[in-house]
Amino acid sequence: MPKIEPRRGKIVIHLLGRKYEWTVEPRYWRNPMIGLALWLTLPLLIYATATSVFHYHPIALLSTLIFANLLIMMAVPFNLQVIGTGRLSFGPHFFLAVGGYTAALLSRDYGVSPLLTLPAAFFMGAIIALAISPITIISRGVYYVLITMLLPFILGEITYWRSDIFGAETGIPNVELLFHTTGNVTLDVLIFVYVSLAIALVFLFFVDRTLRSRYGLMMGVINEDEDVALSYGINVRWIKIVTFTLTSGAMAISGWFLAHYQGSFSGPVWLMPSFLIMVLLTATLAGKGAIYGVVVSAYIVATLREITRVSLGEFSVVVLFLILLTLLYFLREGFWGLYRKRRYREYEPSIRVRRKT
Amino acid sequence: MIEMLKVSNLTKRFGGIIAVNDVSFEIKKGEIVGLIGPNGAGKTTLVNLISGFYSPDRGKIEFNGKNITKMRMDERAKLGIARTFQNPRVIPNMTAHMNVLYAILGSEHGKELTMTEAGAEAIYYLDLFGLLKKRDVLAGDLAIYELRLLELARALALRPKLLLVDEAMAGLNPAEAEAVSKLINRIRNEFDLTIMWIEHVLKVIMRSAERVLVMHYGRLIADGKPEEVVKKPEVIEAYIGEEEV
Ligand SMILES: Nc1ncnc2c1ncn2[C@@H]1O[C@H](COP(=O)(O)OP(=O)(O)OP(=O)(O)O)[C@@H](O)[C@H]1O
Ligand SMILES: [Mg+2]
Repeated sequence: MPKIEPRRGKIVIHLLGRKYEWTVEPRYWRNPMIGLALWLTLPLLIYATATSVFHYHPIALLSTLIFANLLIMMAVPFNLQVIGTGRLSFGPHFFLAVGGYTAALLSRDYGVSPLLTLPAAFFMGAIIALAISPITIISRGVYYVLITMLLPFILGEITYWRSDIFGAETGIPNVELLFHTTGNVTLDVLIFVYVSLAIALVFLFFVDRTLRSRYGLMMGVINEDEDVALSYGINVRWIKIVTFTLTSGAMAISGWFLAHYQGSFSGPVWLMPSFLIMVLLTATLAGKGAIYGVVVSAYIVATLREITRVSLGEFSVVVLFLILLTLLYFLREGFWGLYRKRRYREYEPSIRVRRKT
Repeated sequence: MIEMLKVSNLTKRFGGIIAVNDVSFEIKKGEIVGLIGPNGAGKTTLVNLISGFYSPDRGKIEFNGKNITKMRMDERAKLGIARTFQNPRVIPNMTAHMNVLYAILGSEHGKELTMTEAGAEAIYYLDLFGLLKKRDVLAGDLAIYELRLLELARALALRPKLLLVDEAMAGLNPAEAEAVSKLINRIRNEFDLTIMWIEHVLKVIMRSAERVLVMHYGRLIADGKPEEVVKKPEVIEAYIGEEEV
């Protein structure tokens, strides 16, 4: 029996009388370029080797990558939202659906091109978020959870009630695809992988810049203690409203992508709690307020989902959640926490000051 | 001298309790005013009203001639009103340095500073309060004495005009209390501050404050020089049953 000992920064595995140490915090990871290169070549690698090495249909593997990137597209703005509003929303998938419907309806009914449905989806998400943003100021704790949980529920009901517009479970068909298909389905999916990866990268970039900016620091204080933030003279309301609005708009872009990737959009599929839970788990597994951890956790969540789906069928959801809960138990602070714990100061803006004596 | 803070007929109720009851007083620029009173007298509530944490049910607060009664807390902070919290509210999982740095960066004057400048300034305030050695310690790991100093350093880092200190001495031993008391006097002089200093016990504030306000059951029962105030029958009465005055 292997004995696995998770330690700070490394995992020690005892197996067959031998000891293996696996450093989870390798120094070479610190160069983001290596991670980025790995991330960028992974789809190509899978495209090339899926059939020969994995004996698996490449499309299934590539779709898993797309799902992982979709989780990143949701969890990265979500984490920023949690920091900037100091509240945990249970309705991120609502904004995905808003973006999806906006893009699908504009495309099917008015023939608007994907390039224009993109800003439309963003603005629709942002405007709805702005309209309900006072909840980030008024409500706290369970009330906030309840209100944000009701949003996707209500939208789900509406899609059935006005199935003439939203098409209920069938959704909205005949949505223009993002690009002209190449004729090779696998290649098309590969291109979609890269599109989703590009969006995920853009989100990471923006969120990273925001967190490093002065506003990011202010958000950090709001996240820790709103009253303290106010006592510093930080306009907490304004930051919360702007954060909620913009991050919700960003989440709507995930819906836009889905609509133009699948050629249709069906809200109820995404408004289901199981998708919400995967987004929440991705965000949580990444570690509190961590955005690079999201990349790792999204790929793990998506891979586990695919494995359990194939091997266990309908039972998969239960097993998947059990696996993820176990992971959460061992990684209380998420993947990034492993790294942060030892070197928390590196992730604070670092300042070297020499004192004149 | 002009008055910096003017409070008129301030009243705040919590359900049946009148925590602050028709309180009026003025504080002049450059003064150190002590505010004392037994437990539950309404001292913290008064700080919360002045800093904008609560809005009053009645009354008016003016700061440098400007009516700030309806202003939000962050707007008042921008005008130059800073406070400390009775139960230190530092950010526990940030280092002492970060706590001060974030205060500077969040504050109005911090907008013009680069990260490095703000970092250096934070070091300066930590040094002033003798916390330089603890700069990289997580605030959650600091002792109560250091937490009180950090609260002060952080409030001072906002470069306030009026500093409201809510019990800087509670939980400190006499030597520590003495040190804090000296520091508060020193910063008043060096930073051209006006300070309203709340303390539960009169003794510690006697040496430092030029003027003392006494609250009891939400009312202001005395206002004057420390040595005169302690002789007042109302004040003695208020403190009967308390162990030390
Ligand atoms: N948020 C609140 N809700 C309800 N009652 C409150 C609230 N804040 C204060 N009070 C009540 O108002 C009264 C005054 O409290 P306050 O904290 O201002 O007293 P204090 O003089 O600061 O006392 P202490 O010396 O214990 O700090 C108390 O009776 C208290 O219970
Ligand atoms: Mg108090």
